[in-house]
Amino acid sequence: MREGRLTKNAASEPFGGDTAAFLMAAHELKSPLALIRQLAFALDAGQLTSGEQDRIAQQIILTSERALRLTTDLTTSSRQDTLFDLEPLNPVTLCEDVAHELTPLFTAQDKKIEVISRTKPPLVVGNRDLLRRILLNFGDNALHYSSADHPVSLAVQATGDKVRVGVRDYGPAVTPDMWQVLQERLHAHTAQPVSGRPQSSGLGLYIADQFARMMSGEIGAIRHRDGATFYVDMTASRQLSFL
Amino acid sequence: MKNMAVDVLIVEDDIWLSEQFERTLSKAGYVTRRAFEGHTAMDLIDELKPQVVLLDMLLTGSTAVTLMHELQSYKDTGDIPIILCTNLASLIRLDDVSDYGVRRIIDKTTMHPDDIATAVRSVLL
Repeated sequence: MREGRLTKNAASEPFGGDTAAFLMAAHELKSPLALIRQLAFALDAGQLTSGEQDRIAQQIILTSERALRLTTDLTTSSRQDTLFDLEPLNPVTLCEDVAHELTPLFTAQDKKIEVISRTKPPLVVGNRDLLRRILLNFGDNALHYSSADHPVSLAVQATGDKVRVGVRDYGPAVTPDMWQVLQERLHAHTAQPVSGRPQSSGLGLYIADQFARMMSGEIGAIRHRDGATFYVDMTASRQLSFL
Repeated sequence: MKNMAVDVLIVEDDIWLSEQFERTLSKAGYVTRRAFEGHTAMDLIDELKPQVVLLDMLLTGSTAVTLMHELQSYKDTGDIPIILCTNLASLIRLDDVSDYGVRRIIDKTTMHPDDIATAVRSVLL
């Protein structure tokens, strides 16, 4: 098992003026838009059963929602100078909200997402919306790489004065070559966003990294033999959990 | 059925998009199989010896370039024509990838569904 923190100075720079990130955003939006276009063509061509029509309509809705999540993330990431309210949060409850939000998308692809429950969850200091968006990005990433046999799981773990909130997928492992590229990029301190796996331009991680930094958190990844965990380390709240 | 003997392997990691490609090609009379990542694709190519590979550029587990390199390294797979179907089409020149067996490049962002069947037909001429 290999672990690496996804830290880089460039990620904390404002999105505005960052040409690489701008190009990546454009590229990342191409995929859902191209898919929606093809699905619309299929509906327009007719010759579908009513069940197929319903299924394709649902796919269009879910794909649109994914694209809209990305545009909202980009808008939020451009507000880095804004102070986001930080408060004690129950990360397990937040994981449950994220799993609930992503369940229709997972179900439509015959996949599952679950939360590892805890009776006494540690609290974190964070912003609910930013942390939720980080986990949605990790969840989206995990959906792409998970197999139908094993659910993607969200878990919370206390590690000293930090709390780790992670999203674990069970799919193709990050190859040693890709892991090497990832590590080099982590330590390059350039504006080039990280990309843990080849399919993605890495924009989701770039955004997650920015959001984590707005809360003094840090994202990272663990490579497993059968998948990967992407996580965010948050400051633990000293407030007692009464939940 | 016309073209019944033709096997097109669709290598596309977006499940819903690959379904649409399969629907279009089946309607055109082609027999298809799907792979969602590079390693499975290589196994299916070995097993099925498809007449055409429809290949996305960015895949789970590997890139199309890795797969094309591997195909080129074996005598029995090196001649399989490849159609790249990608969002990166505007960044790729056919001349630069023709040595990998790429015969057509389709831009996912502008393509009409029928372009897939047209491209398959053209490389099999």
